[in-house]
Amino acid sequence: MTTTPIETELLRNSLAGICDEMYIALMKSSYSTNIKERRDHSTALFDASGRVVVQGESMPLHLASMLGLVEVVLEKYGRDGLKDGDMFLSNDPYVGRGSHLPDVAIAAPVFKDGELAMFACNIAHHADIGGMSPGSMAGGMTEIFQEGLRIPPIRLFDGGTFSRDVMDLILLNVRVPEERLGDYNAQIAANRLALRRCDALLDRWGTDRVSDACDTIISAVARRTRACISRLRDGTYEFEDVVDDDGLSSRNIRIRVRITVAGDEIEFDFEGTDPQVEGNINVTTAGLQAACLYCLKVLLDPDCPQNHGMLDPVTIKAPLGSIVNAAFPAASAARAQTGQRIVDVVLGALAPAYPDKVVAAGNGANTSATFFGQDGDGTFYVYLETLGGGAGARYYRDGSDGVQVHMTNTSNLPIEALETEYPLMIERYQFVEDSGGSGRYRGGLGIRRDYRPIGHATTFSGQGERFANPPWGLFGGGPAATGRFATISDDGIEMRLANKPSSLRIAPDTVISVITAGGGGFGNPDERSVSELEKDFALGKFSDRFLTGNYPQWRCRLRDAQNSTKKDT
Amino acid sequence: MYIGVDVGGTFTDIAVNPGDGRELYLHKLPSTPDAPEKAVIDGLREILVENSLEAGQIRRLAHGTTVGTNALIQRKCGKVALITSEGFRDLLELARQTRPTVYDMHRDHPEPLVPRNLRIEVPQRRLADGTVHVPLASNAVADAAACIAEAGVDCVVVCFLHSYAFPEDEDRAAEILRANLPDSTVVLTSSSVYPEFREYERFSTAVLNAALITVLGSYLDRLMQATADMGIPAEIKISQSSGGLMSVRMAKKLPVRASLSGPAAGVQGALYRAAVAGIDNIITLDMGGTSADVALLENGVPVEVVARDLAGFPIRIPSFDVNAVGAGGGSIAWIDSDGLFKVGPRSAGAVPGPVCYNQGGTEPTVTDANVMLGRLNGSTLLGGRMPIRHDLSVEAIARLAGCLNMAPEDTALGIVQVACATMVKAIRSISVERGYAPSEFSLFVFGGAGALHAVDVARELGMGRIVVPPSPGILCAEGAMNAPLSIEFVATLLVPVSPEATGALARAISELDAKVSNWFASESVPRPQQKTTWTVAARYLRQNYELTLPIDIAASGGSLLEGIDSSFHNAHERNYGFCSPGEPVQLVNLSVKALGELPRPDLPVLPGSPRPDPGWHRDTLFWRGDSRMTPVYDRAELVAGQAISGPAIIEQMDATVLVFPGDECVVDNWGNIIVTLGATGA
Repeated sequence: MTTTPIETELLRNSLAGICDEMYIALMKSSYSTNIKERRDHSTALFDASGRVVVQGESMPLHLASMLGLVEVVLEKYGRDGLKDGDMFLSNDPYVGRGSHLPDVAIAAPVFKDGELAMFACNIAHHADIGGMSPGSMAGGMTEIFQEGLRIPPIRLFDGGTFSRDVMDLILLNVRVPEERLGDYNAQIAANRLALRRCDALLDRWGTDRVSDACDTIISAVARRTRACISRLRDGTYEFEDVVDDDGLSSRNIRIRVRITVAGDEIEFDFEGTDPQVEGNINVTTAGLQAACLYCLKVLLDPDCPQNHGMLDPVTIKAPLGSIVNAAFPAASAARAQTGQRIVDVVLGALAPAYPDKVVAAGNGANTSATFFGQDGDGTFYVYLETLGGGAGARYYRDGSDGVQVHMTNTSNLPIEALETEYPLMIERYQFVEDSGGSGRYRGGLGIRRDYRPIGHATTFSGQGERFANPPWGLFGGGPAATGRFATISDDGIEMRLANKPSSLRIAPDTVISVITAGGGGFGNPDERSVSELEKDFALGKFSDRFLTGNYPQWRCRLRDAQNSTKKDT
Repeated sequence: MYIGVDVGGTFTDIAVNPGDGRELYLHKLPSTPDAPEKAVIDGLREILVENSLEAGQIRRLAHGTTVGTNALIQRKCGKVALITSEGFRDLLELARQTRPTVYDMHRDHPEPLVPRNLRIEVPQRRLADGTVHVPLASNAVADAAACIAEAGVDCVVVCFLHSYAFPEDEDRAAEILRANLPDSTVVLTSSSVYPEFREYERFSTAVLNAALITVLGSYLDRLMQATADMGIPAEIKISQSSGGLMSVRMAKKLPVRASLSGPAAGVQGALYRAAVAGIDNIITLDMGGTSADVALLENGVPVEVVARDLAGFPIRIPSFDVNAVGAGGGSIAWIDSDGLFKVGPRSAGAVPGPVCYNQGGTEPTVTDANVMLGRLNGSTLLGGRMPIRHDLSVEAIARLAGCLNMAPEDTALGIVQVACATMVKAIRSISVERGYAPSEFSLFVFGGAGALHAVDVARELGMGRIVVPPSPGILCAEGAMNAPLSIEFVATLLVPVSPEATGALARAISELDAKVSNWFASESVPRPQQKTTWTVAARYLRQNYELTLPIDIAASGGSLLEGIDSSFHNAHERNYGFCSPGEPVQLVNLSVKALGELPRPDLPVLPGSPRPDPGWHRDTLFWRGDSRMTPVYDRAELVAGQAISGPAIIEQMDATVLVFPGDECVVDNWGNIIVTLGATGA
């Protein structure tokens, strides 16, 4: 049976509607800050063979986990091993194709008239998945066993019967279990919603027609991606950069890429990248795939729908056991740091081919701050937040100040919400002046956010990147300022902390200051107009000293002004 | 005599009800964006003269306007300064630290409305429980006033953290500023604009309000002068985003409340029409040239939301929950780079317009598909003012059909189907996805293109009844004319539902009750016309999104809280498919909406005879391969009680009603066409 283009569009519209509905329901009813406020969750529908057909609005890092999840369920249980009413749960990067343990995926097969027709799935980042450190994200862990509970693909529902035993086991292993149960409930409800909607869709259109439309939707994306790649200039592009450190033993960990564009196909080869590290910043296959696909999408076709078709013209090679393709049992909780650097090297490599599309390096980090302590009344709290920084400048425009970049786009928690819910106070939340790299177009400014634990000691863990190696500029643009963690005592003495501190005891009312990196500049600074510099100065974003040191025309402007005044008179 | 005026970006619409129950007078003329009052005054003069009406008889002039919204989009708004606590001047620009979209590195948020050098910090800080961490430094505020005076701003906004609960410091700083600034500089506080927690959204709302104050204020001054010169004795009332009207005095203080009033006035018009016709549950569909707006009214009450977006900035204002999608008569049918077929969101707009307008458009639109199918008049539209080139529509669609390898007629039907699917999705998201069954609602359609697509949309959603008001193109002006005065007040609670909450809730109720009483007094609303509805926003403790629940404040403290608890669990189950009884529920805020009913003219009633015959017939395609000679009626000639069986087409100046074979329609006393869908659609 063939569906007409009209029917395909009607079906695509309906499938996308189901994904969006799951996405919103999960966001609004969840408890974890990561989901409700930072939208660190994703939803997708799959065809019966386990290929992603449509994905809701989502985190780039979840894309690849989605791509592999159902495949793994099918490999383990086989098509015949699945029953109507089953739901599968999984989070493990090695056996479940996840990217780190806090991302818990729940997948539900959709049956119609006894036949497997589709899958509905969602992934959500839980505030805690157990392990040795609150929030399950802190540095200092050296193997995945320390990072939390590992869940292979297993049944949470067996033919419609809820496995209380599985849930009890999970909840016993995580912190603040009541809240976590709320998140699992929200995920289950989102899948049930999808099951009801898919059932109605299959009723109306018939399984064959839906399956045919799924094929068309996937191959359309493959075709679209190929068309975009073929517009790239054929050739080989190389770049390398480093990750600051792993929080333990390794520093300046190198990531190298060699990209080959040939016709409508592209190959990413990470040969020459450093081996996996002891610390928890290792990226597994799913994360690497996600980073490469993110780059393709932002460079070639930001509006491209995401599904399995994107993979079709793409080959990704990386040595097993390297930091971008880590082998068991490497720790991977903070894999987003390395993921951001993969994006930097890919964009850096393709800069000569696509100068008007790439951006200079920005705050290539997923700077996070986690606080764990006890409220005045003795209740435990875990609070995690991530901070943005400067975005890299572009071919024709400055980089944005104080935003999340690339693979992360999570919102902050309103200060008024944070201070109401946690015994923490924000002392300041502002741009870091002079932190954007100079250039024809300047880089964006980093962020400073200071926290004060009010009247109690707290435990601080942090993940900082671009704290040692500054984000670079492009085509003559200057590098940005780096970030740092520090404590500030009441008499104003600042003490710098490690880049990835783990479980530091912080005395009551000692301020913790988080400062993130800015973005690199684009183009030669000499070419920036004096009026732009005057605006930078008037707004207080850059000091006279910085402008004098980086832009010769800033120094000359007074002399020019004098000259022109002389001419006028 | 009552008048409603709706100033849109393209047209200014005027509706006049002389109040004698016989006829409405309607007028549409091009807007004059540089001086919007010009079109209003010209239009009023014309409509009064044409119908021999006296300006002195006007009892009310209700006015909906997008003057503020347009000014914001064009950045032609007031110069604003901001005073905030030390360490937080960048908060307004940091916003939520997100990019507008994940995958587009080249799209940025708009620049903040207050530049960084006009965001001035002063020592001040309170904690969430009101504790003074840093006392407000009065001298620093006075110094800031000096800088602000020098910069010459129109408005200053004071924005401190936790002012939703502890507005004292904002109020004190405002006093100092007022004492140190010229009277022409308006001073505002974030808590006086909308005292809700979540600082960025509160600050942003206050700043947008500040930016609009001079724009809307000077426009209203000019308009009032001009209407006074015309001899209009009535005070002007301004439409709000929540449908009701406000006084000019209030509009000048809180212009942001008028910013999204356009779509709300349409919903307000539908609300009144449906109530008069005795229909409680409706879903509105307002389909124009570029987009379609949908809203849901349960028991005659529209669903409301507070979080909206204005010119790229978030605002918190009470407003009807109107969901807009990019499907309109001008939406373009095209083939995406992946070879898949799409309709919209790009629109041919008014210029060049659909291909059939013959004004340079080459890409087929939804209107072209309707022309080709015989659903729209193939020779003229807009009551004969717009000549239509049927042949050009056919050519354009044939070209697209060739690329798709489909028959032209199937392609035209497909364009209509896909546009309808977009609207169906929008309606599903405000109904099915929130636990409402569309089958229990009537589809109330207006806007130029609504009635043409109503049957397709209703059938897809399992809705059995469609209502088309007499003048679908001018319902917004009519809605403004018939709206009550209204206002909303909110108080942040942030307390768990437990016995300890009784006191906090009672205090908040009496605080808001006092505000409501003051407002009724200041707007001179007599007691019998006073109406209030109370709601709370609640969530499970540590969730971030609230569900809004109606409450009866007459109930005693204990039973009030019990009622909130159980209705919250039910609402959570309905909205999200699960609830957790036993989990603590938190009250986030309390709101009250106060209505002051204004005297309303009766809607005109249609005569009952004589019954017209169809003027002519045309060939119309309803389903694939099913084309029929269809009678075409002139709506102006229809009479009350007239029943017409489908297939039928009813044409009027600004809309076309399509009745499918097997469906029945009847004209009610007020001139609404009520279409009842047949069981099978054949």
